Amino acid sequence: MEKTLADALIVMGKAIGAGLAMGIGAIGPGIGEGNIGAHAMDAMARQPEMVGTITTRMLLADAVAESTGIYSLLIAFLILLSL
Amino acid sequence: MNKKAKVGLIIFIVVYFTIGIINAFYFVPKDTSEVTQGLASRWIVQISDKSAWYTRLNPLTIAMSWAIIIGLIIFAVKVGKNFKIIPDRKQSITESVFDFMYEIVESVIDDPRFVKPTFTIATTLFIYIAVSNILGGAVPGLNVSIANGSVKFTLFSDTFFAPTADLNTNLTYALMVFVISHAFAIKAKGVKGWLKSWFEPNPIMFPMNVIGELAKPISHSLRLFGNVGGGAILTFMLSYLVKYLLLPIVFWGFFGIFVGLIQALVFAMLAVAYISAQIS
Repeated sequence: MEKTLADALIVMGKAIGAGLAMGIGAIGPGIGEGNIGAHAMDAMARQPEMVGTITTRMLLADAVAESTGIYSLLIAFLILLSL
Repeated sequence: MNKKAKVGLIIFIVVYFTIGIINAFYFVPKDTSEVTQGLASRWIVQISDKSAWYTRLNPLTIAMSWAIIIGLIIFAVKVGKNFKIIPDRKQSITESVFDFMYEIVESVIDDPRFVKPTFTIATTLFIYIAVSNILGGAVPGLNVSIANGSVKFTLFSDTFFAPTADLNTNLTYALMVFVISHAFAIKAKGVKGWLKSWFEPNPIMFPMNVIGELAKPISHSLRLFGNVGGGAILTFMLSYLVKYLLLPIVFWGFFGIFVGLIQALVFAMLAVAYISAQIS
């Protein structure tokens, strides 16, 4: 298989696109999950007897908050592997 | 921990580590491109000459779905046949899962008429998705890869294929929840009340309500698909990077058991939340 400049440019574009998609897409979920964790810690410190309930709710909220990050992960994989 | 459990745990660890060592020596691909080539492609069978969306079958999804359904039915029949006052291990697992889900559903759903149907739907979804995620994430098994248009079967180089790593499965369940929630809304509020709920708080918001409702099944299904499918791809790539030596087991454990169970719970909880938002 002969490698041309066009192929190299395609690979470069794919790599840059996937990197940008993943990197920018991870900012939002990071901030969101950090907020959730911080407030859950606050709540646990205030009411240590509610730790079990708060942990379950925190994990649920985490899973919802990270969904945009998961979308960007999917897009990154699509760009890298199947386009 | 009694002696039987200790022996079981030791056997489990030995088998797991043996599989890791076998992987390290026998399943190392020659080339990086060999790994990434068939990663995003699925084994798809055309059942007729016409190429349309309904003539394509995904045999792995169908086989794994039926295997899980049959396994769960056998388990349910076994537990249900001799239901005792003093529960044995299987019965207490079943009871604790049901109790956990029932408490959550009871606290979320206000209308007592809809507690039991919602509980049935949510628990069925939770058990099925949890079993399929764990099977697809933590149990080493048959791996099917596509290389140069031909199907290749290898044992124990990766985990089983999870049916929830296929968007078709997830979208089916999300649409099911969507239809069920609207059916419950019609039952709870009547057709008039249901139609009126589209124009709340005022008629200008009608397009926003439509978009909001249609976005629910999409995000519901894509969340599960992204977590399970992305986890599978990540595990596969990281397993290759460490040359299949022992470490994949850790990833299998994390992505299979931890993420899998949480995502199954999230899927069931969101189903309950959507239904409760519709009927109240």
